[in-house]
Amino acid sequence: MLKKMFLFALFMMLPVSAFAIEDIKSADIQKEAEIQKKLTDVGVSVLNANKIDGRVVFVYDKAEVKDKLKLDKTLLNREVIVYGYDYKFIEDDNELAAFLSRRIAEAYRSYPGFFSGRLNSLKIKAAPKKYQIIFDKIGVDYMVRAGYNPVAMITLINKSHPQKRGDGLTSNVTSKRLAKIYEYICVKYPYFLKNNEYYQNKSYQNFLLTSVNNRKMLEEKLRTRSRKELNYE
Amino acid sequence: MNRAFFISFLVFCAVSFGMRTESAYGAEVLNASKPESTEPVKDEIAENILKQRNFEKPVSHLIYDYKSTKTVPIRFSIKERIKSEADVYEGQIVEFEAQSDVYFKKDLKIKKGDTIKARVGTVITSGMNGIPASIIFDNFEFPNIKKGQTEDRLEVFGQDRSLVVFPLKWALTILPPSGSLTNFIMGGHVKIKEGKVFTMYYHPEWL
Repeated sequence: MLKKMFLFALFMMLPVSAFAIEDIKSADIQKEAEIQKKLTDVGVSVLNANKIDGRVVFVYDKAEVKDKLKLDKTLLNREVIVYGYDYKFIEDDNELAAFLSRRIAEAYRSYPGFFSGRLNSLKIKAAPKKYQIIFDKIGVDYMVRAGYNPVAMITLINKSHPQKRGDGLTSNVTSKRLAKIYEYICVKYPYFLKNNEYYQNKSYQNFLLTSVNNRKMLEEKLRTRSRKELNYE
Repeated sequence: MNRAFFISFLVFCAVSFGMRTESAYGAEVLNASKPESTEPVKDEIAENILKQRNFEKPVSHLIYDYKSTKTVPIRFSIKERIKSEADVYEGQIVEFEAQSDVYFKKDLKIKKGDTIKARVGTVITSGMNGIPASIIFDNFEFPNIKKGQTEDRLEVFGQDRSLVVFPLKWALTILPPSGSLTNFIMGGHVKIKEGKVFTMYYHPEWL
């Protein structure tokens, strides 16, 4: 009886599990293909709308994060890799465009200049903190030109970048980056803040909640028509 | 023996069923514990400053056709001298002046002396290691030419000293820490004189 039950269970389970694994694999491949298609669609739209005359490709890698030994291919190969960790924060096309636009700005910066753009790449590597803000701003421009809402840059960065204090030499504090992006949108594309589709978005509301002091500084600057650069927290 | 095994099999089934239902209930509990929507935080800048003004939706470039390779150069120079990137601010409108007539198929598009408006898009300050400052001009308004038919941006750089700094830094690595001192060499400021001619290309058959 015991042997029969065991054999019966084995007979019932084995083929099912094999099929299940196959199904999961094919579903994974299908899902990856869908993400890849979406990535390419949005990325190429940004390239075409902005008349970017250098080739940039977009690759989805489901690996959670970049392997520490791997080189960043944005400057070297002009290849924007979206890792699974980054992709899981993206909720809509605007946020995907935000992610890709700033990486496109980085990749495109490596085209002109001395030694086929190698000197420019070196400058970006030598001053990552400075260029972080520049690419945020250029990314906002690319988004608007491609018909996306630049406020999504704020919601995406707010939910996906920690408020690190440790690496002050290589990157900006996220709240400062967000404040700079907000100011940039406010000055260049105020339409999107006045008619804000993201106003009720939880991540945007969280940004508003955590940026009260920075926004007060900007409000004062706008009221007094001052042109001095603000020292955001 | 067989009965004992059969009973344990049933118990196993019951437990696994119980775990599934428990997790389902768990999900319900999680959903039920979602916080109720609260009053949204107000965006004072949008409500107090921007609300009083009217803004047009920025133009996006969604319809394009890059088939044609025909290009016509547009030469222009700035009307008012810019001594440094600190002289301008993001969003400022600046004026350029066409330096020559621009024709396409005997049709005069831009006349010499015409004003070309542009906006200061991004101001990049000079950095360490000889990285130059730059100003990116965008949103050009060429008379009689659609926005999609010209390049979108013009970036003007200050003196790039990084070309000297990086080789110097590497040469001095044998004498530490003198190589690191080259970090403090700053890049040049953006200086645009009235006579300096810039060229952008008009693509007459683009959309």
